[in-house]
Amino acid sequence: MLNIKDLKASIEDKQIIKGLDLSINKGEVHALMGPNGSGKSTLSYVLSGKEGYEIDSGSVDFKGKNLLELDVDERSNEGLFLAFQYPMEIPGVQTSFFLKTAINAKRKYQGLEEIDALEFAKLVKSKAEELSISPDMLKRDLNVNYSGGEKKKQEILQMSLLNPEMAILDETDSGLDIDALKIVSEGVNKLRNENNSFLVITHYQRLLNYIKPDFVHIIADGKIVKSGNFSLALELEEKGYEEISKTA
Amino acid sequence: MNNLSSHGNKILNDFNPFKNFKLENYKYAQLHKDHTSENFSDSSYDYNELLKISHNLQKTDFEETDLSSKVDKWNFNSIDSYFRVSSLSNRSSLTLNLDNFSQEVLLVDVNHFSENISFTKNSSKNQTLILITSNISNPKPRSIFFDLAENSNLEILQLALSNNKSFIYFEINQSDFSKMNFITFQSNNNHIRNEYYASLGEKCELNLLGLNFKNNFINDNFSYIQHSKPSTASNEIFKSIVDNGAITNFQGKIYVDPIAQKTDGYQMSRSLLLDSKSKANNKPELEIYADDVKCSHGSTVAKLSQNQIYYFKTRGIDEQTAKNILQKAFLVEIIESLQNKEIKDFSKKLLDNLI
Repeated sequence: MLNIKDLKASIEDKQIIKGLDLSINKGEVHALMGPNGSGKSTLSYVLSGKEGYEIDSGSVDFKGKNLLELDVDERSNEGLFLAFQYPMEIPGVQTSFFLKTAINAKRKYQGLEEIDALEFAKLVKSKAEELSISPDMLKRDLNVNYSGGEKKKQEILQMSLLNPEMAILDETDSGLDIDALKIVSEGVNKLRNENNSFLVITHYQRLLNYIKPDFVHIIADGKIVKSGNFSLALELEEKGYEEISKTA
Repeated sequence: MNNLSSHGNKILNDFNPFKNFKLENYKYAQLHKDHTSENFSDSSYDYNELLKISHNLQKTDFEETDLSSKVDKWNFNSIDSYFRVSSLSNRSSLTLNLDNFSQEVLLVDVNHFSENISFTKNSSKNQTLILITSNISNPKPRSIFFDLAENSNLEILQLALSNNKSFIYFEINQSDFSKMNFITFQSNNNHIRNEYYASLGEKCELNLLGLNFKNNFINDNFSYIQHSKPSTASNEIFKSIVDNGAITNFQGKIYVDPIAQKTDGYQMSRSLLLDSKSKANNKPELEIYADDVKCSHGSTVAKLSQNQIYYFKTRGIDEQTAKNILQKAFLVEIIESLQNKEIKDFSKKLLDNLI
């Protein structure tokens, strides 16, 4: 699905990703854990194609295509999704209109007709209910005056509507109370199947109790320093980043 | 010409007043310049859609009136308007009482009139007047007056589209307890200037809101809101999107008379520049002689947010679509303040079509 080889990337001439290798197969859930400043969010921005990030070397293969050659919107339409740690507020744009525009962009890319208004209403209603998102919220401007929890739910709603093959969740657990964390995790778990993959970026093991990863990687100073299974997350919780990084 | 104020005389005696007009208030309007742009096409604006939801006022509905004596009756604590003096001296005038019409939505195509127009409204009945100031063929300044009697209210949508040159003076006189909601929608113009002078009586409310986008040379809005009596409120917001080397100007003053205590005045001008060739000139001014007032103003000039565009693109939406949606989102706040739902929906569609 996603194959990252010796990736080095910089922002404003400062290298943040310093030779990162990561391979994610269909149906797998990978967790990426690391302290602040280790390059977690930078990796998600680089994979999404955000402007301002320079690729110094390395390659990223996504479903057999060179991901780094694609524009941001093409990456999304090819099936890559990034759930943001801090979703943008868009005043003046109604949430449901934004969702419809995004769905239709993908349908157009796939050569399909625009979604029927009734079909769209039904689809959004059922997905929103699953995430305990009130219909009223869909009428509000996108992410404007949303609470931290509402913003994260909105990201997961977008993810479930676009049904990506490869989803990157960037600190989706930050700012969530335990109830919202459960709802968001259930939303993610419902989407899991043998044809899609997830990269869950987090500081804490807490989220991984709800979204069980197949693999756990620890990132430090722009490189993956240790990989293992779920028990690595537990070990990390016990010992902390510093000690784990030392034993790496 | 004998009844003109000396100030007006001085202006009008000039062979070409546009050429040597030196008043500070006209500095950025560049009225003396004759600009033809390759981008501009004065494609005539088709308002058939609007005629389905409004009553089209004809010339026969108006009465002739003599406004020339008004030239000497300058009611504002400001430098006189050249547009006002010129139009009252050079054009005859018509008047219309809006109360004579039962329809909720009325329409006037200003281009069908060579006269200045004076509207009066006495009742508090909800009424929206659509003023088409589009495809204006004679660019000589003209005046449009609104006199709102006590307790009356009126909503106005000005559509200023596809003008090569259009120069208009608006004067709003509000008697005590009256309400005015004035929205101006300006697009695809080459060189236009609108002047909005308003005087507010006791406990009056005025909304003066404008949007403009896709203009070619100069889009100039000037306003002077005079709080003449106590407990008045004015809310003024102008939003511009400028591209292709065009210039948008906003100059607005809030004047608060010494007796106008408890004034609540708000003024905001916001511009989005889509490229580095385009310009936005903002000149907000406050002149306050009362001590118990709440007045604020602000002005912003910005570009489209790259982070917002990026967010759209991560959801598969292409860059151009994202930019269009963000531009509409920026302007739609102005349209949202229209009270009449049909007119609001029409205006939203118009924005969708033109952006």
